[in-house]
Formats: sequence, structure tokens, C-alpha cells
Amino acid sequence: MKVYIFLAIMILCIILVPVTAYLLKEWYAYWSHALLAIIFSVLAVLMKTSYYWEED
Amino acid sequence: MAPPIPEATPELVAGVIAAVVAFLTVSVLLGFLMRKKAKNFEEWLVGHGDIGPFITGFALIASYLSGWAIFGNAGLGYAYGWAGSWLIGTMCIMGMALCLVIGYRMRRYVGLGARTVPEMLRVRFESRVVQALAGLAMIVLLIVYSVGQYKAMATVWTITTNTSFYWSLMATAILVLVYIAIGGYTGTQWVSCFQGIVLTIVGWTLGIVALNWAGGPTNITEVMRTESFTVPGGNATQIPLSDYTLSLPPPEGLTFPGLDWIGVTAAIFMFLFMATGFPHNVARFLGTRKITKREYWVMLLILIVGGLTPLWIGAVGFAARAVWGNALMAGKYQPMYGDSAATFVSISAGGVPLASLFAAGVFAASVATLAGMVMIMATNITRDLIHNMRPTVSSTKLLWLTRFMLIPFIAIPLWWTFTSPPPILSEFMAGSAVAQAGIFFFVVGVSMYWKRATKWGAIATIIYGLVLTVLHPNAYGKQIGLYHWGYWALLLMFGSAFIYFFVSLGTKPLSEEKLRKLFPKQNTS
Repeated sequence: MKVYIFLAIMILCIILVPVTAYLLKEWYAYWSHALLAIIFSVLAVLMKTSYYWEED
Repeated sequence: MAPPIPEATPELVAGVIAAVVAFLTVSVLLGFLMRKKAKNFEEWLVGHGDIGPFITGFALIASYLSGWAIFGNAGLGYAYGWAGSWLIGTMCIMGMALCLVIGYRMRRYVGLGARTVPEMLRVRFESRVVQALAGLAMIVLLIVYSVGQYKAMATVWTITTNTSFYWSLMATAILVLVYIAIGGYTGTQWVSCFQGIVLTIVGWTLGIVALNWAGGPTNITEVMRTESFTVPGGNATQIPLSDYTLSLPPPEGLTFPGLDWIGVTAAIFMFLFMATGFPHNVARFLGTRKITKREYWVMLLILIVGGLTPLWIGAVGFAARAVWGNALMAGKYQPMYGDSAATFVSISAGGVPLASLFAAGVFAASVATLAGMVMIMATNITRDLIHNMRPTVSSTKLLWLTRFMLIPFIAIPLWWTFTSPPPILSEFMAGSAVAQAGIFFFVVGVSMYWKRATKWGAIATIIYGLVLTVLHPNAYGKQIGLYHWGYWALLLMFGSAFIYFFVSLGTKPLSEEKLRKLFPKQNTS
């Protein structure tokens, strides 16, 4: 269940990129994209290490 | 009062040459040191499979940050204002994280005999045709990418040494040859790691210094609200630079990704797919050792720090626009135009030390990348085409042929840049990036996880991707009414996805027995 929540948040991060550009504009939008990308990447690695970890 | 646009001085020339020579020396020493440790050419390519997270992380940064990110992003910010952000890649860390999560499985194919990405595809699909086609696609797309690297280094050389742009192009070609001749092309993880650290330091330093130099973020915002788009050559328009979309007039304006929200959507997907789609990126994992969960987080931290570098360089472009207005778009700066912004800011804001450091950074990003790409293209011919089709050809002949093939692969993009240099290099390179994203994200990235992928799916995707590449709005797309970059990019990426899955599902995959070797049962924890 948690995996789907993580996935939903990751998709939301992508959707929010153009939305923040439209609503926030200028520097706020610029750095908010970086923040959204960091949240996305933390969740991606969290999913990998928690649920899809591969042993050799 | 705004500081003047700087000119080259003897101190600057000396500083830049010293920085480039120092960078070259360290890269070559590292290359030789690691080469000495390797017993043969294959070990030299991927090491002993013992590379840790720190080296892999920064090597990934180095292969991702090319002349586009470390240099061209300032040109985007300068020429297009906030709408340039879509090609600056403000959310590029998302794509890099996907590459980190997906690319790690490349290690599995080293154990099965693969040393390059096309070889990994031969192993995955048991098909020499897929290997050859992938090699061919890489050649076509890397030639386009190489043009941007030439422009980046030639622009820095022109501005800092006061040499003409065309002689600077020749100097860049000579630097590439020197770099390759003395062994700096190795592209070993250690050299790449060093380059990744240099690029990160340069990007962060220049970005922070530039913001301060331009009077701070608030001042930049206020000035940008008054700026309007200027066509390369100097014709100012009434189109404001204050928004995240820029309604440039058709038909030429339709080729700009930040034109509307369709183009923006395409640019977002391009950045999501392209880090994994760049074959030279996923190849970084070929030499990686087994990584613990904690080390995975270390790699992510490195990617986040390094992945913010393109944003800092983009900010340099905004700073230059706020200080010098549209002056750099004038005919006087042809063919560099806005792409010259970062170099001028490095000189004006930081003097000889920062300008020299920046030149070393661009050298790392463009000349080293160019040398690596030239080597990859030459190897694509010898290893993925000739040796693939005629395995009996001796290794001595292949080595000599590889050396011979360096000449055309240095000369073709040089001639291209010489005869028609792109006004904004990142915009030009994005064409190749979309194709690499659309083709290789699926053919390489997804195929490592999806058992049902077939060689016919891979072949059809590569062919479709290459055909669509030729139909870029600035190439032959206009002849069939494809003027809009966003539609073209979405058609390429999602068309590739559709063809990959559709053809794969309609054709026969490898046998269960063979697939078991590629997808052994895992204990997940």
C-alpha cells in the first residue's frame, strides 16, 4: 500500500512542476522545481531500498 | 552603473591556459594511474567491478553534465528568460534519480560478458542486429551532441583569448586530439569522478558569485520584468521575458520548447527519460561494485548536489541579462550570442581566478565529453559493427581502425559547427537528447526489468526513433507539417514507447531458460 502512496506522491511532484511555474513564477517556481525533484528522488530511492532491493 | 562587457587580457589568457593545462595533467595522470592497474583493455573500460558509490556518483554527474548544462544553460536563461528554465532542466534531478534506480542493474550484464551498452543489448536480446543498430543510432545522435560541445569550448576560447571563433574551433579540435593522444580519453570512473567534482564546484561557485554580482535575486527579478525577447542578431521584440512560456512568432518560434504548455510537457518528459536514455550515463554502472542501502543514499546525495549545478548556471544567464540587457544578442557577438553570457560573467564577476576555473570546467564538460564521444563513436564502428559482423578480424586491425575512425568523428561535427553553428547550443542539443531519451530509456532501461521485451520491439523502436529524429522541426519535419517542437518530441518519446511495447507483445521473447539467466530469482528485502 505504501508503495502506491509513494508512487502517487512522485506523480504529483511531476504534475506540480508546470503548476508551480504557472502559479508561483520567477525564482519561487525555479527553486520549487528543484525541491519537487529532490522529494521525487528521495521517494524513488526509498522505494528501491525498501521494497525492490536486489541482492547479488 | 553596469560593469562593461569585459575584454581578454594577457593575464586572462595565461590564467585560462594554465587552468586547462592543469586540468588536462590531472586527468591524464589519473587515467594513466588507473590504466597501469588494469591488466587488459576490458578491465580498463570497466575496472575490476570494484568502484564504490562516491566515484560512481560523481562519474555519473560528469557524464550527465556536458557543455549544455555547464555552459549552455546560461545562454538559455539569458536569451529566453524564465521560459528558458524548461531546457535548463530545473527538475533534472528527477531523471537522474530514475537513472540511479534503473541503471544499477547494468552490473548484471558485466557478469554476462558485456562491456559497453550495445554489447549489453546483444546479451539481453541475443541479437547482433540490435547491437549494431544501437551502435548506429548512438553515432547519429552523438554527432549532433558533439556540435554543442564544440561550440561551448570554442566560445570560451574566443572570449578569453580574443581569438576568432573559427580559429577557436580549430583549437578545440586540436585540444580533443591532444586529450585523446595522451590518454585522457579513458573515461575511467576515476577521471570522470574528478571531472564531476570540478563541474560541481565551478557551477555552484559561479552561480552564487553571479547572483551577488547582479545585485541579488530580487534585483534580477525586477530587471527581468522589463526585458523582452531579442532575436539573435539584435532585433528586439515586444514579447516579455517575465513568464514561463514565451509566445514566439511562427513558424521559427514553434521550434522553441518553452513556447507553450505542450512544449513544456514534452521538455519535462525529456528530462525524466534522458538521464537513463543517455547510453554514456548508464554505462557508469558497468564498473560499480555491489552497493549497500546506505551507500545508495550517499549516491543520491551526490546526485542532488551535482544535479543542482545546471540550475546555478541557468541563474548566471539571468544575472547577465539583468546587468547587460540584450547586448549579447547583437550581431557583434555572432555566432556566440547569449551562449557567451557565462564566460563574460565569470570574467566580470570573479576576474582571472574564476574565469580560469570556469574555463577548466567547460574544458571538463565539453572537450573531455567530446573526446569520450568520439571514442564511443569510433568503437561503435569497430566493436559494434565490424567486429560484431566479422568476429575473425584481428584485434590489431580493430585498434588501428579505431584510431583511423577518430579522424572523421572529430571532423564531421567540427565541419558542422564551422558551417552552421547553432545560435543557442542547448536548444540544438535538446533534439538529440529527445531521441536518446525516447529510444534508449525503453530499449536499454525498461528492457533490463521487463522480461517480455523482444529484439523486434527494440529494433522497431530504434528505427522509429531515428526516423522521427530526422523529422525534427528544424530538419525535415517542416516538409510534412511538423513545425511544433512539443508535438514532435511527444510523438518521438511516446511513439517509441508505444512501438516498443506493442511490437514486443506481438513477437516472441527469449526462452524461459535464457530469461532465467538474465532475470534470476531474487530475495527482495
